[in-house]
Amino acid sequence: MEEQQVGSLHFHIDFSQPLYEQILDQARSAIAKGEIALGDKMPSVRELAQELRINPNTVMRAYQELERDGLTEKRRGQGTYVTSSPEHVASFRTELAARYIDSFMEQMESLGLSWEDIEKYIRRKQDAAQGGLGS
Amino acid sequence: MTSTIVECHQLTKNYGKKKALNELEVAIPAGRITGILGPNGCGKSTFFRTLTGLVRPDAGRIEVLGKPPGWQNNRDIAYLPDRARWYPSHTARMALEWGNSFLPGFSMERAIQLCDYMDIDLDMRVRGMSRGQEARIMLILCLARDVQLIVLDEPFTGIDVISREAIVASLIDYLEDSEQSVLISTHDIQEVEGLFDYTVMMKEGRAIWSGSTEDLRAEYGSLRDVFRKMYMKEWNK
Repeated sequence: MEEQQVGSLHFHIDFSQPLYEQILDQARSAIAKGEIALGDKMPSVRELAQELRINPNTVMRAYQELERDGLTEKRRGQGTYVTSSPEHVASFRTELAARYIDSFMEQMESLGLSWEDIEKYIRRKQDAAQGGLGS
Repeated sequence: MTSTIVECHQLTKNYGKKKALNELEVAIPAGRITGILGPNGCGKSTFFRTLTGLVRPDAGRIEVLGKPPGWQNNRDIAYLPDRARWYPSHTARMALEWGNSFLPGFSMERAIQLCDYMDIDLDMRVRGMSRGQEARIMLILCLARDVQLIVLDEPFTGIDVISREAIVASLIDYLEDSEQSVLISTHDIQEVEGLFDYTVMMKEGRAIWSGSTEDLRAEYGSLRDVFRKMYMKEWNK
């Protein structure tokens, strides 16, 4: 796996997984986390394809999806920009959090854990993190 | 897009006892970069020579751009043959001028841009060039043409890393805003596997797998791993 930086975005592309989803997921979380700021210009399709050494069609498809998410907008003749609306990003972040929770819960349930057990694990984790900070 | 650029049924070509193409079945979609992958001797070059009409099949059917192969069809195809060389006494500029007078759809402006991009000195003679520089010239003669189909037979073989990177970069740049279809054969997929959006895996004159590269990844993992597994036998010989 390679780690690459394109502008303010980081990508790790794993060629054993579909590329489109990786680019989409990684660009989405970069925007949700604020790695790339509101209203900033995204790398061009060409630039990203060049840096990652992948087919421009794949990048283009991921960019179209980001636009549908409301995370980016195309400006005529100027390229793609991160949305300048914090509400769009916030609502997308909520959606993403819900999705992460779903997959987390699914995994925990597959271990046969109950709600109480899961809560206990989370609390323990939290205590450990706070303990770590305090010492 | 559902239209196909190349379609073969039961395509067969024998050289003596050797079946170079063995009832090959393949349908390659238009507007994509397709990788034709397989070890040396699996029939890739014979397939390319068949679709440009240089080799006549013994049996079966092949259609390229909706027509049988032949010289009339080749005006819409830019073909880079395997182990292609250029006249040693020519400079890069002379090669481009040759292209400009003989190759349909050739754009001199585009060719000069590509030379600049790929770091080719127009006044250098081919005789003094590295294998990689010469390969870049040959590629430029293909990419400077406005044609429907570009066919590159082993464009990365035997050339240095810099040339290989220049070629991949120019393919990416060039293909971003073009509707062209590209077929690239290679037996070495390192650094180029991200380029292919459609993949045909060949073995002993047949297509053993073909489909969207993303589906291949989802199902089997990286092209490199698939390649290693599928051709293990050949590699252990």
